[in-house]
Parts: sequence; C-alpha cells; structure tokens
Amino acid sequence: MHETELNDLSDDADYAASLQQGSASMTRSDSSRRSSSSEPDGAEVVYLKDNVTIHPTQYASERISGRLKLIKQGASLFMTWIPYKGQSSNARLSERDKNLYTIRAVPFTEIRSIRRHTPTLGWQYIIVVLSSGLAFPPLYFYNGGVREFLATIKQHIFLVRSADDANVFVVNDFQDPLQRTLSSLELPRAVPVANGLSSSLSASESPTDKNQVRADGVAVDGSLSSIQNNGRQRQKMHDPARDLSIHVLEKFSLVTRFARETTSQLFRENHSEGFGANERRNHSQSSHDYRQNAASIDVEKVPHEVPVAPDPLEKSPRSNRGEAAATNVGTFELIDSKEIDKLTVWGKPRQPPLGPEEWATFLDSEGRVTDEKALRKRIFYGGVEHNLRKEVWTFLLGYHAHDSTYAEKEYLVSIKKSEYETIKNQWQSISQDQARRFTKFRERRGLIEKDVVRTDRSLSFYEGDDNPNVNLMRDILLTYSFYNFDLGYCQGMSDLLSPILFIMKDESESFWCFVSLMERLGPNFNRDQNGMHSQLFALSKLVELLDVPLHNYFKQNDCLNYFFCFRWILIQFKREFEYERTLRLWEVLWTHHLSEHLHLYVCVAILKRYRRKIMGEQMDFDTLLKFINELSGQIDLDAILKDAEALCICAGEHGAASIPPGTPPSLPLDTGLLYTQQDDEVL
Amino acid sequence: MSYAYLFKYIIIGDTGVGKSCLLLQFTDKRFQPVHDLTIGVEFGARMITIDNKPIKLQIWDTAGQESFRSITRSYYRGAAGALLVYDITRRETFNHLASWLEDARQHANANMTIMLIGNKSDLAHRRAVSTEEGEQFAKEHGLIFMEASAKTAQNVEEAFISTAATIYKKIQDGVFDVSNESYGIKVGYGGIPGPSGGRDGSASQGGGCCS
Repeated sequence: MHETELNDLSDDADYAASLQQGSASMTRSDSSRRSSSSEPDGAEVVYLKDNVTIHPTQYASERISGRLKLIKQGASLFMTWIPYKGQSSNARLSERDKNLYTIRAVPFTEIRSIRRHTPTLGWQYIIVVLSSGLAFPPLYFYNGGVREFLATIKQHIFLVRSADDANVFVVNDFQDPLQRTLSSLELPRAVPVANGLSSSLSASESPTDKNQVRADGVAVDGSLSSIQNNGRQRQKMHDPARDLSIHVLEKFSLVTRFARETTSQLFRENHSEGFGANERRNHSQSSHDYRQNAASIDVEKVPHEVPVAPDPLEKSPRSNRGEAAATNVGTFELIDSKEIDKLTVWGKPRQPPLGPEEWATFLDSEGRVTDEKALRKRIFYGGVEHNLRKEVWTFLLGYHAHDSTYAEKEYLVSIKKSEYETIKNQWQSISQDQARRFTKFRERRGLIEKDVVRTDRSLSFYEGDDNPNVNLMRDILLTYSFYNFDLGYCQGMSDLLSPILFIMKDESESFWCFVSLMERLGPNFNRDQNGMHSQLFALSKLVELLDVPLHNYFKQNDCLNYFFCFRWILIQFKREFEYERTLRLWEVLWTHHLSEHLHLYVCVAILKRYRRKIMGEQMDFDTLLKFINELSGQIDLDAILKDAEALCICAGEHGAASIPPGTPPSLPLDTGLLYTQQDDEVL
Repeated sequence: MSYAYLFKYIIIGDTGVGKSCLLLQFTDKRFQPVHDLTIGVEFGARMITIDNKPIKLQIWDTAGQESFRSITRSYYRGAAGALLVYDITRRETFNHLASWLEDARQHANANMTIMLIGNKSDLAHRRAVSTEEGEQFAKEHGLIFMEASAKTAQNVEEAFISTAATIYKKIQDGVFDVSNESYGIKVGYGGIPGPSGGRDGSASQGGGCCS
C-alpha cells in the first residue's frame, strides 16, 4: 500500500520537516525532556518515543514497555531502549528479565539493518539486526513513530533502503573520512551502496569535505535520488547475497533471547575477569592485524586478490570500526562500556576447567551425578582438569551412567574387566599353527601392529622401544576387532584410542571407553565410508546455511565433497591440535551440549575464519586441501569453540535440520546390523 | 622460489610399504622410523633441476588402507606423476599392485607417468618379491621400475628425479598441453624467458617509481 512512498524517505513529511528545522533543533523532543535527561555531557537526545514495547511471549501480561531514544554524542549515534520501572501489571516479569532486554547505548556502528513492519492491523514494529548477525526482539511502537525514527536516524548516519526489500534499511555509519576510507579498503562488501559512494569520494577527500559528504546523505537538492539509485544498482550487481542474508538473519532473531540471556549471564559470571572494552578492542585490533598478516605471508599467493563476498554473519564491520566507535563513545565509555559489552552476543569466553571441588558439588553422597545437564554445560564451557579426566570421561563417554553410585560403578568395572578378558582370550588363544591358516587374523594383527608403532610415539607415554603402553594399545585394538568383528580395524582408530588410554591408563577401562566412543564414531570407519559421507554432507548443508558466498565458492570450484575436511572429522581434529588441546576439545564435544554435532560447527568456524583467504586467493581443490592440511597446529581452539558455539546458536533449528538423522556421532538409527561386513582385504 | 615447471606427484600403495618414509628421505634426506601413520594425505615439496631448468615437485603422500580408497581417488586429479610403492618383504603388497594400477588408470590423467618402486631393498634377506618379478610387472604395464630403500636412501633421488625427467621429456615431445593444468603441470616464471624477466610475483610492482 505504501508503494509510492517506499522509494525514498525524502518525501516523508516528518523527515522533510525535521530537515527544515536544521541540525540545531533536530530533536523533536521538547527542551524540558532534553534537559531532564541523564545523558552525559555532550550527548544529545535526538529522538525519544514512549510506549515502545517488546513482546517476549504471547501473553499480553508479559509485555515490557519502555522508552526508545536516539542519542547523539560527538559523531556517534546510539540507540537505547530502557524498560519502565515498577509496572505492577508486569508482576510475572522480574527485574532481571527486564534487564535482559534493556538496550543500553548500542552504537549504530554495531547495527547492520533495521526492518520495519507496518501491518494493516496492529502496531508497527521494527527489528534491529546487529552486525554480529543477531537481532533484538521486535520493538512495537504503540504510539506510532517508526517513520520518524528512521528519518531521524537518516539525519545522522548513512541509512539506505535495501534494493530488494523496501522495508529493510541498511545502516552504515561513516562519520569521518578515515572510517570511510577504511571501509572502502576493508569492507568493499559490507555495504556496497556506501562503498560506491566512498570509493568515488574518498580519493579526493579532506576532512573539510565531511559535511558535504554527510549532506549527500540527507540532501534535498535532487542529487540524492540519483546517488541512491546508482547505489542500488551497485548493490544489486555486487552483492545479491547480502539482502538474502538479512532475511536469513531475521529468522535467527528467534534465538536472540537465548543468546542474550546466556550473554548477560556470562557477563555476571565473568564480571571480575574484566572482559572489558579495552580487551575487546585489542582483540578487534589483533584480528584486524591477523587479516593483513594472513594476506601477506603466503609465498605463492596470487598477485591480485579477488574481492570476497561478505560473510553473512561477519562481525568485521564492528571489528574494523570498533576502535573508532569506542573512541567516539567518549564519556559514554566510562559509564556504559560494560553495558555495551552486555550486547556482545558473539560467543562466550571460555571458563577454567572443572576442578575436583566443583566436581564434588555435582555428586550426591553416593556418587551419582545429580544434575547431568548442568554438568555437561559446565564442561562444555571449560573442560575438565587433567587429574579429573579419568573419572569424568567414563561418564561423558557413557561407560558409566550418570545416575550410578560408587558401588554400582565399582561392580560394573569388575564385570566388564572379566568380559574384556574373555574377548581378549579369543584371539590370544589362537596358536601360531592356527594363525598360519587364519589369514584374516594375521592380516588384521599385522595392520594393527604396524599402526600402533606409528601412533603418538613422540609422546613420552608411548615413546621408546618395547613401550608397554604401545603393547596395550595393540591388545585393545585387536580385542576390539574381535568385539566388533564386522567393523574390524581401520586406520584412525589408534588415533582415537591413544588419548583414552593415556587418560584411563587401565586396559579394560580404556577398552570399554573406546567401545562407547566407537558406538558413535564407528561409522566413520565403515568400508563404504557412509558415516564420513553423511557428516561431510551435513557440513556442506551447514556452510550453505551459515555462509552462502563460501558455499557458492566451493560449488563453483568443485569442492562440495568437502574432502579437505576429511581428517578433521575422521579422527575428531586429533591431528589439528596439540595433544592436550585435543583432550580439551574432545571432552567439550562429548558433552553434546547445544548439539551432538558441534564438531561440524567447529569445521564451519574454522572455514569461516579463513574464508577471506580461501576465496580471495581463489584456491582450487588441491590448493585448498593443502592449505587446510597445513592449518594443523595453527588453530586457536578457544576462539574456534566460541565461534562454533555462536554458529550453533545462530543456526538453531535450521542447523539441526541440516544434519540428517543418524549422522555420527548420533547413535545409529537402527540397532540391527550396525556395520556392513568388512571385506578384510588389506590394501 | 621460482621454477620453470611444477609437477604434481602422488605416492600410492598399500599401508606400511614406506610411502611417507620415501617422501621424507627425498625432501629432508633423513629416515625417520617413528612417525605418525598417514590419515588422508600429507604434502611434501622439493626443487630439482632437469636440463638446467628448476622444477618444483609437489608430492602428495596418501593413506594406504583400503577404506580410504574412495577419498584417495580424488587426489589423482591433476597428477603428472605417480610413485606406486610395494614392500619387497611383503608379498601381498606386490599382489595388490594391479588393483592400485587400475585405480590410477581410472582416475588419473592417461599420460600420468608411473614409477614402480620396490621399497625396503635394504632388507634383502627378508625378500619376498624378486627383482625380476618387479621388472616383469613394470614391463607388462609400461611402468618405470626401481628398487629403493627409504632407510639407506638408495635410489630414492633417482626414483623421483627419473620420473620428473620422463615427464619433462613428454613436455618436450609435446605430449602435454602445459597450459592445461589438469595434466598436473604448472608453468612457473623462473627459467622460462619471458617479458617480465622471470621475476616471481613482483611483476606488478615493477616499472613504477617508488613513493
């Protein structure tokens, strides 16, 4: 219905009126409101609207009303939404709930887009999407004023309507020439419209041109529409994926509540650790440096890098502009930096590993784990202290049930020990004479003997001639190949067993923990590789969901088989990290907190971290495989786990739906014939 | 480092025949009896000189176990040379050669040069496959043949280099269209006379004045 006025805001009456008033009186709020505001020095409220409400649930009684403001400080524009205090009708909502939703001074540098919804029935509302990819809940304007809100924003920052959806307004904040230049260098893909402008202007630009450029954004002299039309064409040409990604991201706004909840919880938990603005800025800076280094260290690089399509979930607009934004925050920073951090929804800092005292709090007097879910979550975020692993791993791997007592565990251990001995005896009793007529056994044993002496021998636990632990590994693997004769032995199994034996020390315990692990990962070693193929397929679906440009790149370059991630998945990143780091990763994966398939999100997280390099250098399958192989030892586990967690939350049910049922490490769907019988030809 | 050509090699053969050790001996000139078994693929590279031309060998060392055949097949693409390795002390590794060869013929470029290597020649006292059998197999299938030892380095250089020499000769004879990278050959800068004077990568910065 708004077809004609949707093309531009310049025909907006409020907008035009506010322009005529000039910047000095830009605010439409009256002077008493302004003077009564508690904003710091130099901050000016340029927009204020009461009765802007969020609907956390479908119950009318649980709506939270508040005041929406736009605040200008220096060259920066901030948005705040503070819920009203002490509304008796909201008795069911705690102050904590309200705090959860409070938007405290989020700078527009961190906002990617705003979508407005103007239903014919009901209230108008907007959805604000952050550059991190997450969104605030819809803000309902009970007293109207969406158009005015957008018009006010447009007076202060660069805001353009999306070419593909007239109700989406893409934000970019280029107050100063430096940022604009940075943006044209670093973010040719962030907002192509702005890029089109800045690349044509920045070359000749001096700081004195600043106002003129800003004026372009709000000009009423007729040049605006031509610039914008031009911009729209560019946007269409350069980056069709962008608006698509906006739509995708809005779907993710459903998970925002969860994300914010965990984030603010985290904020409370880690308050003392001071993960503050400075650290964040340093992080931004270092990741920025990294990008440049990564681009310059490669010896055989393609001389001219190709422009890379944006990461739909990328946070780089903030990391590139974060420093300037933080500087611009000025006095705000002192007051609100912690609050701004509260809005950092992208991954949680890792926690220290679970120690013995805390572990004891999860157990009742008889040794049962009282809150399995809480324990798994705790381990997800920090792992387990080394000395505790022997005990905790048996539980994580499912060898001991969480609700079994000390006595039950002890009993199970003794039963299982004799069961192990029985199976082991099956091959031990094969005489030399018998073995001569038992080719399959000889081959299997030969293969295992060859491989155990090629597994982690640089580790002191396994090094040296006639190391008893190497012999233990051989015995366990050979026993397993009798326990699961159909699957037998396949290379990679020794990599999975090695850390388990290293932790458990005990032969029978290691065997049964390995058995538990193989119930989930066994299909990785099927002769037909079906377990691997289903995971690689799921991975391709997840990349398609979470990074369309990267997916398209792999598709164009015939890389969709994802064979370059084969080793990662087959042995759970065992060769990609140092030994101790692998132990940490595994126990985190085994918690199955958030997803049984976190390892696939870890893959996505690593690929996303290097997406710019991969696409920029136009890596083909061979180059990519080599590149991925050589990442071994280079990956920062904690950072990747944070990213993987965020991606998993972001993908939500769409992610889960991308992974076919029964994909390892999910337990197999049918309990019938688990493994197609292996033809034991040793090749 | 600049090169006239880059050749992609792939090393194939049963598990435990010494593929990784041959590679390490060739690239690092050392024998490491204790190393991790290969999962998927590992890479090595070395510069050699043939006909006074610097040639870079990029070598793909693959996992040998049967289960990984389907993924190994994807590595053949664009290989100019293959080293097919068996262990002279284990008869079965020789018996499986035909199956490896079939894979190579099916998934690699038809003009790929294949070198058959009977490894572990230092263990002649435990020999299970005679030199003549190796020669015979190579002759029947049109392969180059050598017995070698990754441990003593005997014939290791020769195996890699004579494979490269064969590929080089094929280029000279016009068997390959070197502009087509699916043959596993990339033309480099160094050694080939060209307008840029053979500089690697810095051509785009040349000519202008510095600021």
